[in-house]
Amino acid sequence: MGLHVQYYGMLAEVTGQAEENWLESGRLTVGEFRKLVTDKYPELLGKKFKIAVNRRISEDLAPIDPQSEIALLPPFAGG
Amino acid sequence: MEKEHKPRKVFVEGPISPDFIAKSIASHQSKTNIGAHAIFLGQIRADEKEGGVVSGIEYTAYEEMANDVFYEIREAAFSKFELTCLHIYHSLGLVPTGEISLFIFVSSPHRRAAFEASEFIVEEIKNNAPIFGKELVGEGGDFQWKENR
Repeated sequence: MGLHVQYYGMLAEVTGQAEENWLESGRLTVGEFRKLVTDKYPELLGKKFKIAVNRRISEDLAPIDPQSEIALLPPFAGG
Repeated sequence: MEKEHKPRKVFVEGPISPDFIAKSIASHQSKTNIGAHAIFLGQIRADEKEGGVVSGIEYTAYEEMANDVFYEIREAAFSKFELTCLHIYHSLGLVPTGEISLFIFVSSPHRRAAFEASEFIVEEIKNNAPIFGKELVGEGGDFQWKENR
């Protein structure tokens, strides 16, 4: 079962794509996911971003259910 | 009994025209329990950056989440303030310098609720709506990503 991962704004430029599917078999926390995604794209380490799980900003200890939609959100600029 | 407030369409493609704003005002003339409107307009500023002057902002958003956030902001505003109605519009895509990217229109029987609600809504949007802006700088196609403070 997989995670649907989306990258917004400048983060899509860093990763070279707007979205991708991750085949994750185990259950991750948000913090574990953050480690995996920054291992995969080391340039993310220098960027500020929040992680939304199923459209909710989530803290590092929160668990991620299988098949979740995950979004990496750079600083907001609305208004 | 609490009224239910349905989610409304917030995002519009490109700048928000003064004509659209005028028509929104006119459409409230029949709501005669309103005594005060407060309107907040966000306009694209020609900031000077290294490499030139900002010529516009290109907005993108995590639209599904942003719509959830706008809905929550609406609900919170209706519960905190005595409002008759409330409209929020935000641009996506390119908005040139000098044009409007955010239109908040709050109506109430009395002025204080209208003033306070409009400020509350702007701050909530800036802090919580997942909207991203690329500032286009100078003539050479340069850009930088905007960040709300």
